[in-house]
Amino acid sequence: MGRRRRRNFAPYLLILPSFIYLALFFAWPMFRSLQLAFRRESQILAVYTEIEGGDLAGRLELQTDVAVLNRERREETLPNGRTRPIYWFQIVGENSVGETVEGWVNQRYLFIESRTESETARVVGGEGAHEWTLDYVRRMFNDHNFWRALRTTLLLLVLILPLQFVLAIIMALVLQSQLKGSSILLYIYAIPLGISDLAAGLVWVSIFRQNGFLNTFLTEIGVLDSPYVFLSANNQEWMLAAIVLAEVWRATSIVMVIVVSGLQGIPRDYLEAGEIFGASLWQRLRHIILPLLKPSLQVALILRTILAFQVFAVVVAITGGRVITVLAYETYRWYDPGDSGFNNPNVAAAYAGFIMLISLVIAIFYLRTVRTQEEAARE
Amino acid sequence: MTTVEERQALPQPTRARVLDPAQRRALRQMKLRRAGTYALAIGIAIWILLPIWLIGTMAFSPSDQVYAYPKPVVPVPFSTETMQFFLEYEGIMAATQNSIVVALVTLALSTVIAVPAGYAISRYIFPGRDAFRLGVLAVRAFPIVILAVPLAVTFIQWGMYDEVYTVALMHTALTLPTTILVVSSVFASVPREFEEAARIFGCTPVQAFMRVVLPLVLPGIAAAAIFTFVMSWNEVFAATLLTIRNRTLPALILYTLNKSSIQFQYAGGFFMLVPSLVFIFFIRRYLFNMWGQITK
Repeated sequence: MGRRRRRNFAPYLLILPSFIYLALFFAWPMFRSLQLAFRRESQILAVYTEIEGGDLAGRLELQTDVAVLNRERREETLPNGRTRPIYWFQIVGENSVGETVEGWVNQRYLFIESRTESETARVVGGEGAHEWTLDYVRRMFNDHNFWRALRTTLLLLVLILPLQFVLAIIMALVLQSQLKGSSILLYIYAIPLGISDLAAGLVWVSIFRQNGFLNTFLTEIGVLDSPYVFLSANNQEWMLAAIVLAEVWRATSIVMVIVVSGLQGIPRDYLEAGEIFGASLWQRLRHIILPLLKPSLQVALILRTILAFQVFAVVVAITGGRVITVLAYETYRWYDPGDSGFNNPNVAAAYAGFIMLISLVIAIFYLRTVRTQEEAARE
Repeated sequence: MTTVEERQALPQPTRARVLDPAQRRALRQMKLRRAGTYALAIGIAIWILLPIWLIGTMAFSPSDQVYAYPKPVVPVPFSTETMQFFLEYEGIMAATQNSIVVALVTLALSTVIAVPAGYAISRYIFPGRDAFRLGVLAVRAFPIVILAVPLAVTFIQWGMYDEVYTVALMHTALTLPTTILVVSSVFASVPREFEEAARIFGCTPVQAFMRVVLPLVLPGIAAAAIFTFVMSWNEVFAATLLTIRNRTLPALILYTLNKSSIQFQYAGGFFMLVPSLVFIFFIRRYLFNMWGQITK
């Protein structure tokens, strides 16, 4: 009995730290991100029908100019027992939608030149207020860079994925064909797994730059007479091509690793049977290997799709982020408090939310795929 | 000429004489295909290595060669001038140090938190296990770096902004799911019977774990930890958002990109990918544990 109880208890204790960590640094920021994107935090002044109480007469935004209709002096007792005068003002002003608001407010919320004489004042304080708003989301959708970024992100996805999958399958088949030195091949094919997108971008910049290696090569073999400017604002196709090559170069390895482990799961008999019956490589690929690889390919496809929405540093390295922009870069640009950014975390959070939403939809597909596979494996 | 080659290819030379033409054709085809596979394998290896070689050439050429055209494809004359220029650039050494600190803290945190969870998933059957595992899978697929936006805002509010350790906290969230899954698959590869045998011979559960299981899983866990280090070392987006003065290396390079010379960029690019060249070599056998498992 005691043993069983301990067994029930231990695993929860063991997963607790990771659970807490992910709650703190995954669930909480996700929630916070939605707050930032959909809630405006502001100060707003509540105006009441009577001094020190009464009903709410309305709210005035900061910096509203108001007319002072009436004033009243009250005493405030300080902690040390002394008293000091506190003025209450009856003011009238217009709120954000143009309605007239009239009522009493404490002096500390107003800027007034003379407490006893001035006829006008300005609202300078208020209480913290939240309001739900779609302004930030609207601002994101209305930004023409948003549509450019979305288009480029999707275009890159469509261009990169097929190349990546074909290359990854070829690489996996090569690794599985028991060549001499396949351990070294595996190492070489896996190197890009550890290369950052920024480094990959810089590598391909060195190739595509005007005095770069591609121009050197093309001039050497006589295709070009003089170096061609591949990476320029007028040459967006070439910029895209450079990004596609850099991404295929860098991120195919991960697909390859998933495909290889998928291949290792295929029983040898199936492949040998195909060979014995004289099926060509293409036939085996088409009728045996690919259908059995389908689960791995699905997983790889989903992971790559989600990663594609985070493409960032490659694009910045190759284009400088100006000519061609992607969703992750726009997120950064809206957040960035520096010279080139907009210093608006709210719109940045809206972008982040948009990327999360897309990824969430894809991730749900992913989990359903995993589920069905596990069920299939159990049977 | 062809017959000689065929004879050498066969284990018993006497049988070569009785090959009929169809067999000979099949054999030739097989050898051709083999040669084709080798050519393909080498071609792909060149596709991956050549760009690294080229930027390496730039990183170890003197500055006049970096700006020269046409470009030399070997670093002759060899020179550390460009690399030195990069390393002595203002802030690079501090940023490198930041990057190493962040990566090490990430490695430590992520391993310490992930090992118990990975063990629990692989060794216990308990209500909620599948939900937890699926949750971890989902988090791994999630674009976690994007969460740097709300985290940066929160860190500013809490007065924790622009600190190196906040980047490590973010990076741990990024690497934790992967580490949990790898560790659980590493534990799953050690038969439960080993542990039970140790218990029968009088070990306590903790002793059984420390003396029998741990030595067997240590290489796998080390591989996972190394991969964690590399992931953190490479991460740009979150690091750029979370720091201003205490930038990590990729964040600093990204930030300086538009104002920096190509010498700086090439040497920086090469410098950043060196850990990959070194570390992937050590963990290559464990890569399939990392990404392969779907149904384990």
